[in-house]
Amino acid sequence: MMSLTLEGVVLIGALGLIVIGALGMAISNHLFRMLLALVLAESGANLLIVLSGYRVGASAPILGFGDPTAPMVDPVPQVLVLTAIVIGVGVQALAVALLLKVYRVYGTLNVRELRDRMDADVATAAGVEADASQDAPAGERPLPPVPAHASVGSGGFGRRGPVPFPPQSDERRP
Amino acid sequence: MISDLAVPNLFVAQAGQLVLPVVLPLLAAFLMQPLARVSTALARGLGPLVLILCAWITAQLWIQLGDAPFTLAIGGFAPPLGILFYADGIALLFALAVPVFALLFWPGSESGGGAGADSRPGSDQADRDQAARRDALVLLLVAATTGLALSGDLFNLYVFYELAAVASFGLVALSGTGRAQVATFRYLMISAFGSVLALAGIAILYMQTGTLNLGQLAQLAPETLNNPIGSAAFALMLIGFGVKAELFPVNTWVPEVYAGAPARVSALLAGLVSKLAVLVIVRLLVLIFPQPEAAQMLLVLGVLGVLTGEFAAWRAKDFPRMLAFSSIGQLGIVFVAFSIGGEIGLLAGLAVALHHLIVKSALFGLAVRWNGSLEALAGAARTSPLGAALFVLFALSLVGVPPLPGFWAKLTVIVGLAERGTPLDITALMSILLVTAVEASYLFRVAIRLYQDNPDPVARHARRDLGVSALLGAVLVAATLGLRPVADVLGAGAAQLGDRAGYIETVFPSHVAGKD
Repeated sequence: MMSLTLEGVVLIGALGLIVIGALGMAISNHLFRMLLALVLAESGANLLIVLSGYRVGASAPILGFGDPTAPMVDPVPQVLVLTAIVIGVGVQALAVALLLKVYRVYGTLNVRELRDRMDADVATAAGVEADASQDAPAGERPLPPVPAHASVGSGGFGRRGPVPFPPQSDERRP
Repeated sequence: MISDLAVPNLFVAQAGQLVLPVVLPLLAAFLMQPLARVSTALARGLGPLVLILCAWITAQLWIQLGDAPFTLAIGGFAPPLGILFYADGIALLFALAVPVFALLFWPGSESGGGAGADSRPGSDQADRDQAARRDALVLLLVAATTGLALSGDLFNLYVFYELAAVASFGLVALSGTGRAQVATFRYLMISAFGSVLALAGIAILYMQTGTLNLGQLAQLAPETLNNPIGSAAFALMLIGFGVKAELFPVNTWVPEVYAGAPARVSALLAGLVSKLAVLVIVRLLVLIFPQPEAAQMLLVLGVLGVLTGEFAAWRAKDFPRMLAFSSIGQLGIVFVAFSIGGEIGLLAGLAVALHHLIVKSALFGLAVRWNGSLEALAGAARTSPLGAALFVLFALSLVGVPPLPGFWAKLTVIVGLAERGTPLDITALMSILLVTAVEASYLFRVAIRLYQDNPDPVARHARRDLGVSALLGAVLVAATLGLRPVADVLGAGAAQLGDRAGYIETVFPSHVAGKD
């Protein structure tokens, strides 16, 4: 019973990490937070791999370590998880490098702003008219546009200058 | 220097040579940078040389040993414990396609390479470093995708998949524009998340069976994986490996990446890499998850991909993104075909996949110069008559006009769906017929525009890109003329691909599996 509890708890923890990471990637509005959420999800998957070979009470699979007649945990997943961790770290490092370059070009890491500006860029490069932003209201604007740097949700890394306080953008919207 | 190692027995195919198409490009990729310091000419020639060598070796293996599947245990460790390469006709065919297409779309030459306008004047040394890096990335991509075709071990597949992913990130970001970098980052995020899911699926499989060898998994699957947990593992791995295969919910990266990447890189990703990811999914489906739920999942996601992709392509206003969305739709048809199962399903899937490999790569080859809006293409037939004629040929084949292979491929899918005839199949059949009309609408709209009168048409194609497209067009026409032998070869390949018992027998010849 005891073994079931411990393994069950870790299993739920691993799946929970993956779910938290997935949700974080889905709802975060800042590229760096997305990356952090990915790191969480990856550690969940790695935990799941280690768990797949784990047996409660078994010793580490090292020769001359502990009682040789006692059961050992399966060493294969532990080897696999090393590979998975290394690959994961490599991909994350690449992601951070890309983030730096993106920030240098666009000056923001806010997902919505980047999406709009990239769509505009792609459209310009292709010589076609850009589709309207998904966040833009349909029809004519009754109000002057809100400056980009004051828009809601641009996180700490995304600001491109001092944000006036109190924010003026709120006064314009009824 | 590398070729010296392999020269002595190049004309006699041996199973041991199966590692060379993976190992040689890897080695060359890592030698590329130091070599570029020593001699630029040597570094420039190294990549194509290695690719030709790989294609030669694989072709020899296919011709001499390809009738029956064979395996190669890496390092001599026997299968259940060691890692092995598994080669049947289809695996070798794809392993042959990888170096050939990489050679056709080799980004090395100066003319029209990259996204055209993005090339900036830099110092000579910087240009050479950039070229060496790019060549190394293409070679890494080649090694990884060949490994995907050949590997018979689940975790090994995952590693090759990740390697292909990292190489493609580098290639997409290569043009250095901001939009390419944002696109790469989002591609990386989706891809890495897919890897997390695939990893979780692999972990679940290992928990259930205690092995990662595909042959042994196939043996154990009927007892241990024919249950909800097995289906969940398949769903995770389907989404995970589906990222590269442009499967429906995880394909949002496709249009922005193909719009931002150099057109030749897009050709490689849309044509080649997606097909290898499809091959991995099909292997999993055939060997490990023969239960109907798995095929149904594939069918539903495939239909959604078909509908969303083709309608988005209809709305697209520029050439690369139209091709990207159309590629999502075509891969949806591939998934629908493979979900039919049995020999006819596999045959149909292979036919659509290979047809798409040839046609979409060639169209992206044309997009090297036609990388702008569709409106700007007006009158392009005047400057580039051969390019316009090729576009019409490929468009006809994509839509499925009778004598061309595209018609036969689509017909096989439709016949397969109609034969099984469940309501879901009929829905899939109707949506394929519907999107055929949509495809015809947007492709012929472009074709008409190409032949319009326009005093100021776009520039003509570089000779090399046009040559590659013309070559692929010639292959298409040859396949039209020799449809019967092509169908026979594919049918034999499909029979091998679907032969689960044969796979197990090949991996464990003497029925001593699981014991060592």
